[in-house]
Amino acid sequence: MPVITTRNLSKVYNPDTVPVHALRNVTLTIEEGEFTSVRGPSGSGKTTLLNIIGGLDKPTNGMVVINGTTITGMKDSKLIDFRLNNIGFVFQSYNLIPVFTAYENVSFIMLLQKRSKNEMKARTEELLEAVGLGSKLHSRPRELSGGEQQRVAVARALASRPKFILADEPTANLDTASAMNLLDMMERMNREENVTFVFSTHDQRVIERARRVITMVDGAIDSDVQQNGDRKYAEE
Amino acid sequence: MTILLSISWRNIWRHPARSGVLLGAIIAGLWAGIMVSSLTNGWIQQRFDNLIQEELAHVQIHHPEFLTEREPWMHIDDTDEISAFLENDDRVSSFTVRTLSDAMIQSALTSSGVQIRGVDPDRERQTTTFHENLIEGEYLDAEVRNPVLLGERLVEKLNVDIGNRVVLSFQDLENDIISGAFNITGIFKTANAPYDERHVFVRAEDLYTLISDRPIHHEIAIMLHDQTESDDLAADLNQQISGITAETWYDLSPELKYITDMGGSMTFYIMVVIMLALAFGILNTMLMAIFERMRELGMLMAIGMSKLRVFVMIMLESVILTLTGASTGLVIAHLSVNYLGRIGLDMSGVGGESMAEFGYDAVVYPIAGTNDYVTTIILVVFTAIIAAVYPAIKALRLNPADVVRD
Repeated sequence: MPVITTRNLSKVYNPDTVPVHALRNVTLTIEEGEFTSVRGPSGSGKTTLLNIIGGLDKPTNGMVVINGTTITGMKDSKLIDFRLNNIGFVFQSYNLIPVFTAYENVSFIMLLQKRSKNEMKARTEELLEAVGLGSKLHSRPRELSGGEQQRVAVARALASRPKFILADEPTANLDTASAMNLLDMMERMNREENVTFVFSTHDQRVIERARRVITMVDGAIDSDVQQNGDRKYAEE
Repeated sequence: MTILLSISWRNIWRHPARSGVLLGAIIAGLWAGIMVSSLTNGWIQQRFDNLIQEELAHVQIHHPEFLTEREPWMHIDDTDEISAFLENDDRVSSFTVRTLSDAMIQSALTSSGVQIRGVDPDRERQTTTFHENLIEGEYLDAEVRNPVLLGERLVEKLNVDIGNRVVLSFQDLENDIISGAFNITGIFKTANAPYDERHVFVRAEDLYTLISDRPIHHEIAIMLHDQTESDDLAADLNQQISGITAETWYDLSPELKYITDMGGSMTFYIMVVIMLALAFGILNTMLMAIFERMRELGMLMAIGMSKLRVFVMIMLESVILTLTGASTGLVIAHLSVNYLGRIGLDMSGVGGESMAEFGYDAVVYPIAGTNDYVTTIILVVFTAIIAAVYPAIKALRLNPADVVRD
């Protein structure tokens, strides 16, 4: 069963005044374990697509199915709960809680899930160790570099054991070394733990590492390419 | 809930200076509010005590027309019957009889209009605390012929002193003017300067001997164990004894009743002003906090924190911040009220003496009951909740998709 399926997704902003077509009939399928990059110029609709897949925004038309559950039309309260248990988010600006330590930032989402203390502790320490921050459990975000903060954000996204992770421009604020380090870490998670990653990005470094690259232009999928050279899908 | 409390507490201290300023404002506001209301309470209570315990008592009995006409012949006909009634009534703590007369007092230098209050020294001492106002000399049980007590201001006006003699002229029962020489044995000073100038105290026996050929009394002042029974006792007296009028302290001094009632309203309005200022302070701080943390709040909603939790978190921030300030403010206010309640706050340096013209003490002893503190805490929490609702709703309206990106 695919992790993500979209059917004829459309999104129109300001439909009654000056309509802006952010998405036009986007249909795609993402299978478990994919390491996919959605690229395109600014305004091409990649962030809108990720927001709708992540249940943060609603499409004007079409539907989104996550792991067999249709989230289109789901009530807000149910959607929040669905996100909590099924989707991990990594944001461009890290968006860590500044008053929490790295440990608390990662474990917080499990508190929302009402996991047991022992499980939270073990999972948090395991994840922070996995992203190379085992020695900085009790550091606050301001005591961490940008790359380290983004690694905490990835650990937080993984903490809830989501079906997949949506990462919106995850390397945009990082220097090359930090970006490569982060990509290495995410690739390892993908390979070793079969975590599905979907990125939206301009960053060539990310695009080169992705195994599948979806290119969007003017709200539609322009090309959908496996990095090994297979052309999986392309708009005419 | 624990995690929400923890995150709310830490959020408060994200900007220690800003939260500190608001905490300072809450502490200062509450301290000031409690102090002003406790000083008002103290002032009113002292005024009440002065009037009730020094002179008025809880219930008074007169001839039905005495208080309006003040004629000497309008005395109480059967004091013995009333005394017997009062002595057998459990509600009565004590009572005293008085002979009253309007008079002219003359010294060697000048004269002045006064009211003579002829009292039974022993019974008066048991019923009222007037004797505590004596600042110089002896009370009326001095072994001197026709002793008289004068107020400090009257002494100054007449330019007399203890041991001097004054002449009191007044009407007898036949409306003839008679005079008597009285010896000044003591000087009193109450909180009410005009009262001190207009009243003199003599022994009732000395006065009625000059007015009449038999004991007469114009007033019986009754102190009760519980002042709330004043109405019932007055009603019973009026029903069971003819030829008299029994009135409660608030019938006799409606302005005192008004002041007592007004005190509560004044405290309420002071607290409303403080709460309004507090509400705007909280609103401003919480709105700033929301605007600064939009991305973070959006992130929390994006990763799965329910709107209810976000709402509760913001409300908790407001309530915790306010309760921290309020409890500190209340502790400081409580200590201040206790301290000043013991030593008093001397207002004479800031015009307090002029309050004596209206019957108020220059030294005020603030009073704040448990009820005042509890009410204040409830008001503060209520205000904090109300003031935080708008910022919290504003946070709930955030669209995570819009705010998580730069």
